[in-house]
Amino acid sequence: MFARAITMIGLLVGSTAQGTAAFAADHSVALVLGVNGSPFYEALACGASDEAKKLGLTLNVSAPSQFAADQQVPVVDAVTARHPAVAVIVPTDSQALVAPMRALAKSGVDVVTADQTLNDTSFLKAQIETDNLLGGKLAADEMNTLLHGKGSVLVITQPPGSTAQDERTAGFVTELKTFPGIHYLGAQYQSDDPQKAAEIVTSSLSAHSDLAGIFSTNDQGAIGAITGLRQAGAGKRVKLIAYDAATPEVSAFKNGTIAALIAQNPKQEGEVAMEVAAKLIAGKKVAPTVYSDIAVIHDGDNAKADAFAYKADCSL
Amino acid sequence: MSAQANEADPGRWSRRLGGGWILLLLIALMVTFSLLRPHAFPSVYNLMTLAVDAAILLVLALGQTFVIITAGIDLSVGSVLVFASVIGARVMLAIGGASGGSFGTTDASWGVVALGTVAAILAGMLWGAVNGVLVAVARIPALIVTLGSMGMALGFAQIVTGGLDVRAVPELLVDHVGTGTIFGIPVLILIAVIVTVLVAVLLHLTRFGSRTFAIGSSAEAARRAGIPVQWQTVQIYTLAGALAGLGGVMALARFSTTTIGGHTADNLTTISAVVLGGTSLFGGVGSIAGTVIGVFIPIVLLNGFVIIGIPPFWQTVTMGAVLVLAVYIDQLKRRARQRS
Repeated sequence: MFARAITMIGLLVGSTAQGTAAFAADHSVALVLGVNGSPFYEALACGASDEAKKLGLTLNVSAPSQFAADQQVPVVDAVTARHPAVAVIVPTDSQALVAPMRALAKSGVDVVTADQTLNDTSFLKAQIETDNLLGGKLAADEMNTLLHGKGSVLVITQPPGSTAQDERTAGFVTELKTFPGIHYLGAQYQSDDPQKAAEIVTSSLSAHSDLAGIFSTNDQGAIGAITGLRQAGAGKRVKLIAYDAATPEVSAFKNGTIAALIAQNPKQEGEVAMEVAAKLIAGKKVAPTVYSDIAVIHDGDNAKADAFAYKADCSL
Repeated sequence: MSAQANEADPGRWSRRLGGGWILLLLIALMVTFSLLRPHAFPSVYNLMTLAVDAAILLVLALGQTFVIITAGIDLSVGSVLVFASVIGARVMLAIGGASGGSFGTTDASWGVVALGTVAAILAGMLWGAVNGVLVAVARIPALIVTLGSMGMALGFAQIVTGGLDVRAVPELLVDHVGTGTIFGIPVLILIAVIVTVLVAVLLHLTRFGSRTFAIGSSAEAARRAGIPVQWQTVQIYTLAGALAGLGGVMALARFSTTTIGGHTADNLTTISAVVLGGTSLFGGVGSIAGTVIGVFIPIVLLNGFVIIGIPPFWQTVTMGAVLVLAVYIDQLKRRARQRS
C-alpha cells in the first residue's frame, strides 16, 4: 500500500518534471475500463499493462466508479483532452457512448473498442470482442447436458443496454428454445449488485419449486447467486452456470457450487488491445474485428479453471 | 440568512460565494492541473467539456440547494431524472415520425421535442409534488420520503419501458441540444447557465427565496411570521422535481438514449456539491454561486486525474477525502467568523 502511495507521489513528481514533454504523445495509449475494481477489467488492464511494457507503449488506465454511461462519459471526455495516440475503450452503453467516442475519433485519436461494442462502429479503427452470442449458446448446451434436458431455467443479467450482456442472454435463450424439456423462466436484472442477485435467487426458489438451473451472465451475478443458493440450501439441487472466471467463481466452481464456467480471457484481450494499438501507431493495417478466446470449463476440470482465473497480478 | 442578518455583514457576501474558500480550492485545482498538463487540461475543448459534464448535475444541484436550505434532503433526483427522461422519450416516440438519418434517432419536429420536454418536466414536477406533500403535510422525514420516491420513480421508469432503454430519440434534440453549439458554446451549457441565473434570482432576490431561507432557519418562527410553510415546502420540492425533469431531457439529448441503469450516484453527487458550496445541511444558509463551484470540484478532479493518469482507485479515495476536508475547513472558518 505504502509502496503504491510512493509510486503515486513519484508519478506526480515525475509528471511535473516531464512538463510539456508529455505532449510528445506518439506512443501513449489510454485504456478506459467499464468499471473500477471488477476482476475481469483488472485482469484486462494487467494484460494490457504487461504487453504495453513489452511493446514500448506508455499506457494510462482509467475507469468510472460504476458501470454506467453517465459515469463513463466524463472519463472519455477527459481522455479526449489528454489526446493519446490510441484510445482503447470498453463502452458501458452501446448508444450513449457513440457521441463522445466519435468526438474522440474526430480529434485525431485512433479509437478501439474492447469487450463491448457500439451501435455505430463507422469511426472505430478496430473492435476486440469475445463472441458473446456463442458464449450464451455454449452455456445453454451445457445447461441442457447438466439438466438431462428437463427443468426450469432462470437468467440473471445486467439491465438491458450493454451489448455483451444482452448478447449472452440472447444466445442462451435462442439455443434454449431448441430443448423442448427446458422451461425458460425469463431474465432478472441486477446492476452489478451481488446482494440483489442473491435476493432474486432466493425468491425464485420460493416461486418455482422446479427451478433446476441458473445462468448468470457475469461474475457479480454469480457471486450473488452462490450466496442465494447457499442461503436456501439449494446449492446441490440447482445447477449454476456462470460467465467469467473471477477468483470467487473459480473457488465456487472447485467447491461444486458452480457447475460450469464460460470463461473469457481478459488478459489476452488486454494484450490483443495493445498489439492493435502498436500496429495503429506504426501505421500498419489491423483487422476490423479481433476475437479473443472463449472456453467452457466443465465440472471437475480444476486445472483449466485455474488457468483461466482472472488474476490482476501486476502493478498498474 | 437569518432574519436578523445585518445588510452590512461582511460574512453575508462571503457566504454567497460559498465561503470563498471553496472557490480558492477550485482555482487551485485548475491551476495545478494546468501547470501539470499545460496542453491538455486548460485547452478550450477541455474546459467546454468540463462545463458540459457539469451541466446536468448543476441543474439537479440547483433544486437540491433549495431543498437543503429548508433543512430537507432530496435523494430522489437521479431516479426522477430517469423517470422524466423515459416519459419524455416515450412521448416523443409516440407522436414522433419515422426513423431519422442516423442510428437510433427519429425525424420528429421541434414541436414534438417541445411536447416531450413539457411532459418530462411535468413528470418531474409530479414526483416533486409527491415528495413535498409527504414531507410538509404528512410530516414524514424528507430522508425517508425521498428514499422511497427514489425507488418508486426508478421502478415506474422500468415498468413503463419494461427495463429496456428507449433508444429512439429525435435527431433534432441530439444534434442541436445534445451536441449542438450556439456561437461556439454547447447548448447544454447555455441551458444550465440560463437556469442557474433564473434560480439564483429566485433564491436571492425574491420573496420566494427569503421564505425558503426563513423555513430553513426556523420553520416554527416562519409559521408564526405568517409564512405558509406547508405550501412553500411543497413548491420547493416541486421545483427540485421540475429541475430533475429538465435534467432528464438534457440527459436524453446528451446520451441519445434513456439511461435507466445510470444516475444512481446523482443524489449523493448533488448533495456533496451543495454542501461543498457552503450550504448548511441544518438549513437556513446557502447560495447558488456556492453550488455552482461545488458541482465543478469533483468534475475537475476526475478530469484532471484522468488527464494526469492517476490510477482510478486513488481517484475514488481523493474525491471522498476532498469532500470531508473541504467541509471541515469551511466549518473552521465559520466558527472563526462567529467568534470574531
